[in-house]
Amino acid sequence: MTDLSRRAVIKATGAVGASILPVGLASNEATAQEPRRPTTATDASGAQSTAYLFFNSEEAAFIEAAVARLIPADDKWPGAIEAGVPNYIDKQLNGAWGAGERLYRSGPWQAGTPSQGYQLPFTPAELYRTALGAINGELKAKTPFAKMPAAEQDAYLHSLEAGGKNLGGVPSNVFFATLWESTVEGFFSDPVYGGNRGMMAWRMIGFPGAYASYYDLVDQHGIKFDQPPTSLAEDVHGHVHAHPDIPARLP
Amino acid sequence: MSQSAQANSIAATAFVALLGQFALDHVLAQSGSRQADVNRGAVIAAQGTAKVPACAQCHAFSGASDGSGTFPRIAGQSTYYLAKQMHDYTSSARANPIMSPISKALSADEIADVSAYYASVDSQFPPLATADAAIVEKGKQLARVGDAARAVQGCNNCHGPDGAGATPAIPYLAGQYAQYISSQLQMWKRGFRNTGPESMAAIAKQLDDQQIAAIAAYYQQVRGQQEVPDTTDASAAKR
Amino acid sequence: MVERLKPVDVVTVGVGMTGAIMGKELAAAGLKVVGLERGSVRDTVPDFQSPMIHDELRFAVRKGLMQDNVKEAVTFRNSSDQTALPIRRWGAFLPGTGLGGALVHWNGQTYRFQPADFIYKTHHEQRYGKDFVSPELTIQDWGVTYDELEPHYDRFEFLLGTSGKAGNLKGQIQRGGNPFEGPRAREYPTPPMKEPYYGALFRKGAESLGYHPFPQPASTMSQSYTNPEGLKLQQCVFCGFCERFACEHFAKASPQTIVLPVALKNPNYELRANCHVLRVNLDSTGKKATGVTYVDAAGQEFEQPADLVLINAYALNNVRLLLNSGIGKQYDPTTGEGVVGRNYAYQTVSNVTVFYDEDVNINPFMASGSSGTVIDDFAGDNFDHTSVGFIGGAYIGSIMTNGRPIEFHPTPPGTPAWGLGWKQAVARHYNHTVVLTIHGSSQPTRRNYLDLDPTYKDAWGLPLLRMTFDFPENDLRMSNYVTEKAAEIGRAMGGKTVAAAPRRGPFTSTVYQTTHNTGGTVMGNDPKTSVVNRYLQCWDVPNVFVVGASAYPQNASYNPTNTLGALTYWTLDSIKNKYLKSPGPLVQI
Repeated sequence: MTDLSRRAVIKATGAVGASILPVGLASNEATAQEPRRPTTATDASGAQSTAYLFFNSEEAAFIEAAVARLIPADDKWPGAIEAGVPNYIDKQLNGAWGAGERLYRSGPWQAGTPSQGYQLPFTPAELYRTALGAINGELKAKTPFAKMPAAEQDAYLHSLEAGGKNLGGVPSNVFFATLWESTVEGFFSDPVYGGNRGMMAWRMIGFPGAYASYYDLVDQHGIKFDQPPTSLAEDVHGHVHAHPDIPARLP
Repeated sequence: MSQSAQANSIAATAFVALLGQFALDHVLAQSGSRQADVNRGAVIAAQGTAKVPACAQCHAFSGASDGSGTFPRIAGQSTYYLAKQMHDYTSSARANPIMSPISKALSADEIADVSAYYASVDSQFPPLATADAAIVEKGKQLARVGDAARAVQGCNNCHGPDGAGATPAIPYLAGQYAQYISSQLQMWKRGFRNTGPESMAAIAKQLDDQQIAAIAAYYQQVRGQQEVPDTTDASAAKR
Repeated sequence: MVERLKPVDVVTVGVGMTGAIMGKELAAAGLKVVGLERGSVRDTVPDFQSPMIHDELRFAVRKGLMQDNVKEAVTFRNSSDQTALPIRRWGAFLPGTGLGGALVHWNGQTYRFQPADFIYKTHHEQRYGKDFVSPELTIQDWGVTYDELEPHYDRFEFLLGTSGKAGNLKGQIQRGGNPFEGPRAREYPTPPMKEPYYGALFRKGAESLGYHPFPQPASTMSQSYTNPEGLKLQQCVFCGFCERFACEHFAKASPQTIVLPVALKNPNYELRANCHVLRVNLDSTGKKATGVTYVDAAGQEFEQPADLVLINAYALNNVRLLLNSGIGKQYDPTTGEGVVGRNYAYQTVSNVTVFYDEDVNINPFMASGSSGTVIDDFAGDNFDHTSVGFIGGAYIGSIMTNGRPIEFHPTPPGTPAWGLGWKQAVARHYNHTVVLTIHGSSQPTRRNYLDLDPTYKDAWGLPLLRMTFDFPENDLRMSNYVTEKAAEIGRAMGGKTVAAAPRRGPFTSTVYQTTHNTGGTVMGNDPKTSVVNRYLQCWDVPNVFVVGASAYPQNASYNPTNTLGALTYWTLDSIKNKYLKSPGPLVQI
């Protein structure tokens, strides 16, 4: 993204993107030096302490390696790992969604037709735990997923996607579909949820984010709208008030 | 709404759409032909041209203007918005005894350059007396939440987090002079300014003088980084 | 212990769109009205505030404003030979809840049905002959005509401040509007919204093929507006967070912005929120309602006696309430007898995706819920159906409402489902793609119906509603036909790639289509094929009125809301001017 503002270029060199600072460090002095918007350059990852609250280290290893294949980085744009998708999934599974909010949970349970949708008793947290346990258990004897070369990882993911494998009661295609949905959510949701770090996914596509008021521009048909996105959790300095444990990453 | 008013609105909408098409044509015609020259803009700001005085005389070279609030702070305002105001002065869509002749005497390229210059600068906020805490608090509520009884939404919804601005079309309010914010809201309220979306007039008409003063007092004391790397072509503002 | 409360004149089950309007009007007429809303109180301030409301994950993906499946779901099967299973998470349709109902988070698309839609059976017999329509499609006339409803459509549109351009003023076709629409008495209350780029591209393509594009009628305001209730709405800013979200700008017509404040100011009107109605109570004859029984937020049960009971809940919940109350004869699909649950219908939607080169910037995030451009040339019976092999039709529109990336990231056919190729395609196409909507009618059949589930229950221990539904072949043929027409427009729009996706069976509950569920308490002139008469009054229990899209004998090509608004005022008219003066059946059989 080209940047005509001379002052912003001066400020961008050497400055750490505002959005990855833990809340505690956000002093006025610190933010006064920073650019209003974080740069697209990848910032120092692993610079502060991280914590997975739901995943154990084996589960996290699979998740990190899997999402890295689902949305890989390339030389143009970062991918799921850089965006903090494993952290997003971890925090969701540890919260209300993972515990089954808004899920009709009464039995009896019967396998239905595809039109009838999800009919398993598992909450999302239970689904992930069960499936990951089965996957890691199966691969322990062979090669753990994280140690496979990329092509083999892709083949394994395709095999999960195709179904036919039973992961401790979770059909593998159901697990794959859930993992993919979580990955897309973690990539594209507001950074307040722990993914889409620095709004990098929004920058990739040009989605302007939470502050949205376009009356003056909507009829300027085809206008190139190239503005940095805004998070619903950012303040007037451009600092996104996200959870201090972001990003969770294995050491 | 009466049928003739309806017809006028439809005509106005069509006219605006036509202008939009002109703007797009202009953007397409200009795209790739000229980038705004920030350095030349700085020179115009500092010295003026053969036809106009230096912007710095009123707005300061830093864009912070003077502390009186008569001249708005323009440091770090969006290129597009600054250019649009100048084009509005040129076309008489907006009228001001000082700005109108100045804009009319500047070429489109000069407007683009000087807008790009002021968009690129940051500057200190002069120390100003802060209004009464209760008034500022009232302004904060109006900024964030609005006034439900009058069906007025919070200013931040359009003007960005605490008035940081929503580039390119919506100007920042954070750190803008209270005097200037008040005067513009009064202009909308009384029908003397009607550039920008119709909602500005509708909102201003709903506010009483105390609310206008509170909003202005609040935003004057907000401190933020208003400037944003702004890549929207200034010529896109020409309407 | 059930506490019996003091009797009131009127109780409304639900304070959504119909409950708010009816409650306000009857309180204004001097009656004591209690509005029972099962959800919470909520208002623009403090609940619908930006930026917190602009949260795609919470409100669009997790359906934050919708009915909570934990408490109450619906069971579903495609046909009677299957076992219905719970819709454990909403997919195809998203029932709302809470004060103001779904009008809080709708898109604002505000269409009238056409004159022919109200005499649907008669119209087809007259135009195509008595044997033209397959007997499998149980289409019916409504018992009310477009002309009778016109003044009520007008009143509802002016309540909302709908932005649009009339196409037919008292029989004179108007340029710029929809030439196929029924006659209206006057122009829309506000002019059409600005046309976004996706609408302009469609307009050009449609015109090049000889069609008649017009601006979609929008209840997201094109300019500030004061409605006849004295309530002010603001101009919409095209923020792209419309459906599934509430509006922070006072720019979307919702009960909170158009009518509720007036009701709440009237001492005759009492709102009780977090009160879940279990059933309507009947006297020993079974022909008179004595009131309703409800459970409050703390789990306490109450009986609210009332002279007049208005069922103002969502269409699906209206049907369920009648079934759980034993009102009306339940429909049996094997015998074809009975009426409650009969003629359930939906909406048949599909789309066409038009991919452009990267120099065409669509900016889909600059949109309102109802901005855009539409053609009616293939809706309803606006074209000759003699040889096409189906009845019904669809409007075709370029009516994108958002660019929210979790759910909107179009990629052309052949793109891998995930991985680097997927990511690169998303980046390449996100801002250079237009999606056309084909929004089609839904015919009723003997086999599609609603009843109570034998197995699954809600949090209060009552049976869930069971939905048995699949698209009739007729509707799939219609979708195929009109989607191909839309694809032609897509090609005429200059798209580099045009991907058509007509609706295919079977109906799946897992993919969002619309929340346009109709039928189940159908209106009509014959008690053998309707639950309510033409005034939406229950044949069996004359002091119960059932006001919802559950009254529709079939669903037309259009969104149901505007027609429901018109029916609400029509019913109010009959209550105020006829029923209250002489309580009893308004239609004698």
